[in-house]
Amino acid sequence: MRAWGFALALALAVVLAIARPARAIERTFAGSAQLDYLFVPSAKDFNANQGTNGTFDGFTLEATLKLAVDLTDHLSANVKVCYGCHGFEADMVYFDLRAYDELNFRIGRFSPAFGAFNLRHDPANQKLSDKPLPYDMGRMLRNLDWNAGVIPAPFPDNGVEIDGTHWFGESGQLDYAVYGIAGFRATGPNVTDFNFPLSREPFYVDNNARPTGGARLALTLKPSKVSDVSLGASGMAGTYDDENKLLYAILGGDFSVRVNRTNFRTEYLLRRTAFDTTDPAIFKYAIAPTQGNYFMKHGAYVELEQPLARDFDVVARVDALARIGNVPAGIADLSYRSEMVRETLGFAYAVERNLRLKTSGEYYQFSDRDADGHMYGVAIHAGVAGTF
Amino acid sequence: MIRRLLLAVSLALVVLVAPAGCSGWLARTEGLDVSTLPESVRPDYAVFAQRCSKCHSLARPLTSGIDEDDYWVMYVAKMRRQPESGISPEDTVVILRFLHYFSLEQKKKKEGHGDSTPPAASPSTSASASPSPVSLGATSDRVL
Repeated sequence: MRAWGFALALALAVVLAIARPARAIERTFAGSAQLDYLFVPSAKDFNANQGTNGTFDGFTLEATLKLAVDLTDHLSANVKVCYGCHGFEADMVYFDLRAYDELNFRIGRFSPAFGAFNLRHDPANQKLSDKPLPYDMGRMLRNLDWNAGVIPAPFPDNGVEIDGTHWFGESGQLDYAVYGIAGFRATGPNVTDFNFPLSREPFYVDNNARPTGGARLALTLKPSKVSDVSLGASGMAGTYDDENKLLYAILGGDFSVRVNRTNFRTEYLLRRTAFDTTDPAIFKYAIAPTQGNYFMKHGAYVELEQPLARDFDVVARVDALARIGNVPAGIADLSYRSEMVRETLGFAYAVERNLRLKTSGEYYQFSDRDADGHMYGVAIHAGVAGTF
Repeated sequence: MIRRLLLAVSLALVVLVAPAGCSGWLARTEGLDVSTLPESVRPDYAVFAQRCSKCHSLARPLTSGIDEDDYWVMYVAKMRRQPESGISPEDTVVILRFLHYFSLEQKKKKEGHGDSTPPAASPSTSASASPSPVSLGATSDRVL
């Protein structure tokens, strides 16, 4: 560990040494905000934020303020503050130290490179109000029982990332990223899944000393001047409990095609999460003698974004989650194998250059009945997103 | 039944929003009206619009207030390095050529000559695509 730290420090010193002095200090200030109203007519008493649903219906505001300072041609600092469902949070506080296009050191607090959606997680960069289910952070129906999606986006965490990009002529771009971060957390005895709030609540200190490691590789090809195709693969693995015994691993694959302003995107994510089986009584089912100490969570989406007019877009998305494995007792809406499928149709309209209206309707289908015997749900979003 | 209801709600929203788009007060859009651009600039704008709208709205660069070539050179290079940007080195030259034109237009508007003839894209800017020297330690604040 000490040798690894020394090697990193040496590499940073070399890069700093070759960095040219500043020609100018440039500051970039940017921001965005989205106000969205989520109405769930299928919920009991039209209130989805009760019981085990825990869906953030009603008004939610997601706002960001970002400051980027380019100190030299090779060194920049970035700070991004978010205000969302759980108050203010430091989404980014990092330095980028770039030796070449192909070699950049990112140090601080940032959202590590995982999946394609991570690049456009800012609500102002999406045509729908809602994130795809694999990346959901609380606005999906039955949120608490499912404990959100596969991995939240963004997922700001403390650590180091080495990344870069290389162009092969004019038609091929290869991106890579390798990182070590604190990773997901859960504390206390009888741990059965991540405790996501621990990643965003003070204090921002890891519950175990072992970093989570991950990597991403993506290839973008440009068949023509008006099109590009991207293919990516991501992986992340680490422990999340206090004692470094419970392992999780997340894998993802993504594919997107863009022709003129038409976008087709699809991603598949898979998470294997080990849980503590020392007390079988806390589970709904008997612990299987083999492979009974983990659950699998699958998530996927397919999305088509099509302009209907110059500033009017339609988006159709189908996304799904599946959870396979034992379930903590007391979670009524989940069984050993549970699935949910959501179909979304949405529209976005730019009323001004920096202001976009969004609306969408969502139809959920569940494999398990809720307390009222329902196996479906309906949600409607109406939002406004602005940038500056 | 539910799907039909959702479809009906969506169509109703289209009907409600579409007239607003045709009215005068919603005339300003995310991108530029190509018909207002000189013929020589349109191919450059097409590349700019295609590449710079992949990850974010065109409103970001168009309302940034940046009107210095140096700053654009640095920023477009930063965007080119973004993962899966699709902005090739050749695209950078074309995008910078458009932004040079756009910056000159913005400067004219600031100086109160917004109705003058738009300048032609500068071949020199496109050829070099590199920052011109600025004084060491100079500080500028921009919004993007």
